Amino acid sequence: MSGVTTPETLEAIQLFVVDGCRRAGADDAMAFDLRLAVDEASTNVAAHGYGGGEPGPIGVVLESDGARIRVTITDRGVPFRPERVDPPDLGADAEHRSLGGLGWHLIRQVTDAIEYHSGNDSGNRLVLERRLRT
Amino acid sequence: MEITAKTSTDVTVVSISGTVDSGTAAALAASLRAHAENVGSRLVADLAGVDYMSSAGLRALLETVKEARQRGGDLRLASVQANVLRVLDLSGFTKILKVFPDVAAATASFAA
Repeated sequence: MSGVTTPETLEAIQLFVVDGCRRAGADDAMAFDLRLAVDEASTNVAAHGYGGGEPGPIGVVLESDGARIRVTITDRGVPFRPERVDPPDLGADAEHRSLGGLGWHLIRQVTDAIEYHSGNDSGNRLVLERRLRT
Repeated sequence: MEITAKTSTDVTVVSISGTVDSGTAAALAASLRAHAENVGSRLVADLAGVDYMSSAGLRALLETVKEARQRGGDLRLASVQANVLRVLDLSGFTKILKVFPDVAAATASFAA
């Protein structure tokens, strides 16, 4: 599916992923995980890639080969460097916990593989992969 | 997402249902903040009806618990669905926030 990064599109992306996961044979927990990963990624695109301002184009493709589900998210926003995101301090108490960094942490936790490409002509492409339980 | 709040015997139970994501977390944060700003605010978030929560929702909970504790109160969670509990666990939030099996247990914990 494709659209621009309005709140309505971000919501539609979640439903699209859950539906695609079910069709691919994922159980509810796995569908939840991929919904979370893709939601966090597309929310990042809206908030950071497009600076939280004017919505920009986003595309989401979900594929499965029976062994894994692969979700590709494309956008034309400012390239993002996932490896530069500091992991949150999970051991900190509430007072010292910061509010940032959780989205990428969750994406890493619930996926088996992450690829990220960015280029001037091709835009940005994030691929999230999760193995299906057999 | 829907939010209803009920206050009795010094504890406010905020019942939330639906999806807590980047589109709805701001409304949740505003609602929780309004209750957390009371002195000694004792809040229970009843998450029985929440079927999905992303990091945007976690941030709303974290903001609220910080605010409530600064005022001598707390935010405690009740009836968290398994998938949402997993998000809390993966984020280290189950170490920060007290989680109870139901509203009665969470409410009673304030009297202990």
